[in-house]
Amino acid sequence: MSRAALILLLGAAALLFFVLSLLTGPAGYGPAESLRALFSGGDGAAAIILREIRLPRALLGLAIGLALGAGGAALQGFLRNPLAEPGLIGVSASASLGAVAVFYSGLAGASIYVLPAGALFGAACSVIVLLAIAARSGSTLTLILAGVALSSLAGALTSLALNLSPNPFASYEIIFWLLGSLKDRSMTHVWIALPLIAAGLLLMFMSLRALDALTLGEEAAASLGVDLRLTRLLVVAGVALSVGAATAVAGAIGFVGLVVPHLVRPLTDRMPGSVFLPSALGGSALLLAADVASRIVIPSREINVGVLTALIGAPFFLWLVMRTRREAL
Amino acid sequence: MRPAAAAKGFRLAAVLSVAAAFHAPALAAGPARVMSLNVCTDQLAMLLAKPGQLISVSALADDPHLSFHKNLAGDLPRNRGLAEEVIAATPDLVVTGQFSLHNTTQVLRRLGYRVEEFTYVQSVISVPAEIRRMGALLGAGAKAAQLASGMETALAGVAPPQCARPVRALAYEQNGIALGTGTLMDSAMQAAGLVNIAAEQGFAGMTPFPLELLVKDAPDIVVLPDIMADAPSLADQIASHPALRALPASTLKIRVPAGSLACGGPFVVEAVKALAAARAGTLPCKGSAVQ
Repeated sequence: MSRAALILLLGAAALLFFVLSLLTGPAGYGPAESLRALFSGGDGAAAIILREIRLPRALLGLAIGLALGAGGAALQGFLRNPLAEPGLIGVSASASLGAVAVFYSGLAGASIYVLPAGALFGAACSVIVLLAIAARSGSTLTLILAGVALSSLAGALTSLALNLSPNPFASYEIIFWLLGSLKDRSMTHVWIALPLIAAGLLLMFMSLRALDALTLGEEAAASLGVDLRLTRLLVVAGVALSVGAATAVAGAIGFVGLVVPHLVRPLTDRMPGSVFLPSALGGSALLLAADVASRIVIPSREINVGVLTALIGAPFFLWLVMRTRREAL
Repeated sequence: MRPAAAAKGFRLAAVLSVAAAFHAPALAAGPARVMSLNVCTDQLAMLLAKPGQLISVSALADDPHLSFHKNLAGDLPRNRGLAEEVIAATPDLVVTGQFSLHNTTQVLRRLGYRVEEFTYVQSVISVPAEIRRMGALLGAGAKAAQLASGMETALAGVAPPQCARPVRALAYEQNGIALGTGTLMDSAMQAAGLVNIAAEQGFAGMTPFPLELLVKDAPDIVVLPDIMADAPSLADQIASHPALRALPASTLKIRVPAGSLACGGPFVVEAVKALAAARAGTLPCKGSAVQ
């Protein structure tokens, strides 16, 4: 499939699920009525529901899907490791921990604007630690095991921080921070996350040529004029910004960044530069689809979208581990 | 405020009087040392106990979000509801909630302590009986009867005015949880002459209620939760969701006094009054001068 056709197809899928997300909800308006309310506005109930409840949710699904899909593709390309993914290697969990530590301490009042600051810091710390580990040992397994350790530690500290909060509701929010959800987000969350995600995507995009060169090995890439330190900086900052911002507003949504690059890679020439954009769009399509499903699987009660992505992603991860082992042997 | 030394003296006197004449007068005075392990029994006991009779209340007794009578707790010793604390304090009577500390209750009863459990009150009309029961236990029957009948009079006084149509309300708690039938809020709404939308739609207890449906159902009154500004949670964010701000101006957003519906006590009247006052200000009731 040509690159343009693949991008168009995945873009169309993301758009389709974006519209479906706008049309899905317990209020049960018809498609025509919903779209009319969205565009013509007014202060009727349908306009409030479409503009203040469903639109932010769909926009966040789109943006966070882009962030997770792109983050997975960039990490897999830079580390030349098929199992690298923001969720698996602990970046999302560390972002959650950062957000939780800043928000629940109440140091900044009850403002949700502190969430991304904490999340970006947590995400950046974890990416730097992981890259340091990856630089010392090139093994696929070492990085994943270090990521598992980091994930568990961040998850445990997140639970601890939430349990220590005097607010009785905080401990229930462990589920949100570890599994993620897009329920009842607002345009405020969109304005918090969108610029940071866009900046992160741009930084990762700027690293793509270097990532393509890196497929030849670090020495060959250096001889081609690739600045490894700059590339590393772009990937670290790009992943930390986009995944950190995504986690700050939606919790740690796993497996999207793992599954999507693997699904689109066979349809490309397998170069990181060619996988990046399709992965980002595919991430959006997958997350939006999962978020629509999370609202209709059990009609009376929403489930966390992270549960659905894990249901798809965990078996896929197992299969991938088996295949990687077979190829390694 | 009564000095602590005087309180101690009174307690000593009470203990001595019980020791001296362990029959009729002592029974009428009630147990000398009473310990409360639950924020709801705390408040009833603080209202009814004689000075010095209550030797300890729960750590939540002055919680600004749960305890309406937080100011009564003063410098009373606090407990965390542990059996060890009870044994060390040697009370004559322990009052506690039925659900919160059931294991503690069983341990204490096995050890021979007198433990009286109070159910978690789910209806306004059952509150006077709870007050009378606590009064009987503490030997403060007259004071309890006065409080209970005062409450009944106050509730009867909240006569719903005539409105153009029934006024519909929804209590929207943290995380988008609505309070349906069988909750204290539901019965307070009934007492204030409001129709609870969650109950009307068949929801019982605390039930997830999608924000979309709240907007679509367009309640006349939305009762928002008392949020903890000093200890943030995402659950509290629902009260400041832009969709609630975008509701028509005719939708009243109110809060009942902090802690007034967290427990059954005379103070539930304050919640009923707040709801009734909001009701009088809604569109269907404004302008109808009929009392």
